[in-house]
Amino acid sequence: MTSLARPTSLTLSDVRKSYGSLAVIHGVDLTIGEGEFVVFVGPSGCGKSTLLRMIAGLEEVTDGEVAIKGRDVTDLDPSDRGIAMVFQSYALYPHMTVRDNLAFGLKMSRTAATEIDRRVAQAASILKIEHLLDRRPGQLSGGQRQRVAIGRAIVRKPDVFLFDEPLSNLDAELRVSMRIEIARLHRDLGNTMIYVTHDQTEAMTLADRIVILRDGRIEQVGTPRQVYEDPANTFVAGFIGSPRMNLLDGVWSKGRIRIGEVLLPAPMLQNDRSEGAPLKFGIRPEHIEIAVSGEDGLPAIVEFTEYLGGTCYVYCRLAEGQSVTIESRGDKQPAGGDRITLVFPAARSFVFDDNGMRMR
Amino acid sequence: MTSRREIRARKAFWNRIAYHGVGIGTAFFFLAPFLVGFLASFRSNSENGQPPLPPWPTAGISIDAYRALDGFGSGVWQHTVNSLIVSLGTVVLTVVVSVLAGYGFSRYRFPLKNVLFVLIIATLMIPFQSILTPLFIILAKLGLNNSLFGLMLIYVTLQLPFSVFMMRNAFDAVPKEIEEAARIDGARDLKLLVRVLMPLVMPGVATVSIFAFLNAWNEFLAALVLLSSNENYTLPVLMTAVRAGRLGAINWGAVQAGVTVMVVPCLFVFLLLQRYYMRGLMAGAVK
Repeated sequence: MTSLARPTSLTLSDVRKSYGSLAVIHGVDLTIGEGEFVVFVGPSGCGKSTLLRMIAGLEEVTDGEVAIKGRDVTDLDPSDRGIAMVFQSYALYPHMTVRDNLAFGLKMSRTAATEIDRRVAQAASILKIEHLLDRRPGQLSGGQRQRVAIGRAIVRKPDVFLFDEPLSNLDAELRVSMRIEIARLHRDLGNTMIYVTHDQTEAMTLADRIVILRDGRIEQVGTPRQVYEDPANTFVAGFIGSPRMNLLDGVWSKGRIRIGEVLLPAPMLQNDRSEGAPLKFGIRPEHIEIAVSGEDGLPAIVEFTEYLGGTCYVYCRLAEGQSVTIESRGDKQPAGGDRITLVFPAARSFVFDDNGMRMR
Repeated sequence: MTSRREIRARKAFWNRIAYHGVGIGTAFFFLAPFLVGFLASFRSNSENGQPPLPPWPTAGISIDAYRALDGFGSGVWQHTVNSLIVSLGTVVLTVVVSVLAGYGFSRYRFPLKNVLFVLIIATLMIPFQSILTPLFIILAKLGLNNSLFGLMLIYVTLQLPFSVFMMRNAFDAVPKEIEEAARIDGARDLKLLVRVLMPLVMPGVATVSIFAFLNAWNEFLAALVLLSSNENYTLPVLMTAVRAGRLGAINWGAVQAGVTVMVVPCLFVFLLLQRYYMRGLMAGAVK
């Protein structure tokens, strides 16, 4: 893991959160290295924002410890933790100019006026918002407001930057350009950044490491490549990647996998399963090909297709009723009602046991 | 043949005439009483008893009415100061208490919060005349009867249910993230409230201030009951004394002068606060 190569920036040890009797975070352990860009991703209600807010000190930690640069900050005030946060709604102070918005935190910590001016000017030049310094947030566009919000974080010179879905309020085009800008910012500043999103494109493109959460538990931690190519369970397999990975019900049959009446070759597995054990067979839409002539594979009927320019999504149904999605790049696209045969390399497929855990 | 452009211009012209005509007409009905009162206050003593039309002084402008008004009680200046002390004191106390209470009700979680809030609002349904006697007894026990401070406390009490409700709504409208951003920036407790949140709830504070000022300024019954010595009278009590006049004859000129004097501070307070009252400061905070 990348974190082992660098000094530790942030450590979560068995962090828990409950509201009364309702537990929302069930003991999270995580170590984040200095300068690492970590993205928390998961479906809504998985606790990713709560976890970020616990790191920020905006939510009390019920149990466990949060340490930043080796210092226990679990019970410290947010302003004493060495963090800065960028909110989804920007949360700028509407009655202050951009300059005052940037300077507010420094004024609160009684920084010298010359130092405040220097840092505000520096942050403004990094984000190219110098010409906006005397305006108020109400006079700015969404993208400009988000820059100011990021600027407000930069001037604090934090050990850890926290981003809570910062791009969700922007339109699609702006989101892409701000995403690149955040990546550039991370490269230039080199700070540790923790970023919460439900958008997996953002997660995949920005992250050094992705933390996938579900129901207050970590499902998998790894580089974008690891979580995509080596998912630990069906949840991660289904969550990362678009369109979703096909997860087909099947049974174990003499070292092969039987789906309906068809026997498929299985990827290399170390432990053998008992005959007839139910399992899930996963294959990504982009790894399935349509057989040209007479190859062995899964027979299917095309239900409908979606043409997206470079690619085409083909939605099919297997003989016994399970649906399969294919991402096809070929010139010749099947039409609805066509009978086709699906082929794929066994090495690209995944097998999960009936608890959803990956079988290796 | 008239072009479509001319037709359109003519239509717009008549539309504008109708729009402004209705506006001016409506404004006239609201302004007329003030104008009549103001003009009538400048009639001379002899003209005072005459029929009210025309309302303006016909025999030259005179300030007899203001002299007569000043002749009552301890002089109109003293009573204006009394009224100002009570009203401004009421505004300050009401704002301080309702801002803190509104913030508490809006942001903190504590047991019986909603029950308490409903109880506070429910007191609006009690006609205050019905609790005037107990209030009088309480103030007497505290040694605050016939004192402007005592009267101020009564006004604040009466003003609070509405004001707390108003301020809670104002704080509810401030996004939580702004407060959280300020906490991360290191603003805590009072600093957070004064530096970050107060400017955002200014419309609420302005509304509360205007209502507190006007109600305290115009209140009559409690002032009449609680103030017993002449030099403590507030303007509404003075005005009644003026109107009662001597031997049943009413000095209408002095009454009009009193009305004019009483209107000025209300106008002033409203004009001072209306830009907060009208402005939606929240624009641009989020989204």
